[in-house]
Amino acid sequence: MGKIVFAGAMSHVLDPDYYDAACGPVGRRKVEDVMEAIRQMGARLAARSPDALIVVADDHLNAFSFNAVPALCVRIGTTVSRMVQEDAEAFDKVLEDMPLTYPLHEALANQILEQGLASGFDLALSWEAPLDHAFLSPVNTLCGARPIPPLVPIWVNCFVAPQPTARRCFDFGRHIARVVAGSPWNVGIIATGGLSHFPELLVARVGESDTVFDRKILHWLEHGEHEPLCRLSADELHKSGEHEFLNWMVLIGALTPARADIRYFGELGRINLAAVEWRVE
Amino acid sequence: MSRYAVNSLLYRLKKDREFRARFSTDPRAVLADADLTEAERAAFLARDMRRINELGGYLHLVLSIPGLAVH
Repeated sequence: MGKIVFAGAMSHVLDPDYYDAACGPVGRRKVEDVMEAIRQMGARLAARSPDALIVVADDHLNAFSFNAVPALCVRIGTTVSRMVQEDAEAFDKVLEDMPLTYPLHEALANQILEQGLASGFDLALSWEAPLDHAFLSPVNTLCGARPIPPLVPIWVNCFVAPQPTARRCFDFGRHIARVVAGSPWNVGIIATGGLSHFPELLVARVGESDTVFDRKILHWLEHGEHEPLCRLSADELHKSGEHEFLNWMVLIGALTPARADIRYFGELGRINLAAVEWRVE
Repeated sequence: MSRYAVNSLLYRLKKDREFRARFSTDPRAVLADADLTEAERAAFLARDMRRINELGGYLHLVLSIPGLAVH
């Protein structure tokens, strides 16, 4: 019987140079601190020798265009490439030093997809979508020089309204837990993004974050109180800059009712950085 | 309709280097057939990404178009 052996969620722009330019030396210091917390989480992940690593993250209009914006999408196939952006700006630049291709856990991805469709989740699938920083910054920071486990990338549409609801993401996470339990594999799962940044997705509000909202969320995670999280509305998430928390909701559904430990939380104005790990044993 | 036109234009500016170069050289010609409102057209001609965002351009696109990104 399979098992989730590691679960963590973390911010996903993990680039000291980006935060140095955007926020000054304090930005560099805080992102280096959160990256160190993520590296320590990665050592615990590696110690549990996962057969696969599920990565739940969002697209920033990189993998998908306006030709299709899936609410929930499972990447299938045997390998996945990182996104290549010519003349990259901002958070696209961090990808440039990362490996170009990554192995996928094809069988687990197919089971999540096939059993999902059979049980009421109308999931999209992709054989070709590349991965941007939302996936690869956390994965590379977690794994460092160690081999990267076969991945199962899953996209949640966090930004292009209308998004899936928090409760739907949670329910999808419960589906993932059922698939893993019925499989022969030990599986790690991470969710990325956040915490609060870019409220209302307006340039005018870049530089703001909602720390009160973040602390409320973290309190619920520490205490395993997941029902209030499921009730978060699209409007609340939009106004507070918590769009990417939908990725976390998938992981929470997979782990509920487990409690979480806050490994790092740092206010930075432009974004609040976080690293959180769930108690899986 | 305009919202789609704004964002598909932003997406192409990000992903298509040749299109981006043509826009840089002669934005009026590039925008000639685009289905934009006058306000949207003016914002693109002014390369005013903040205004484009206010008019419905997705934040992550206006933050990441090479050479045009607002920070």
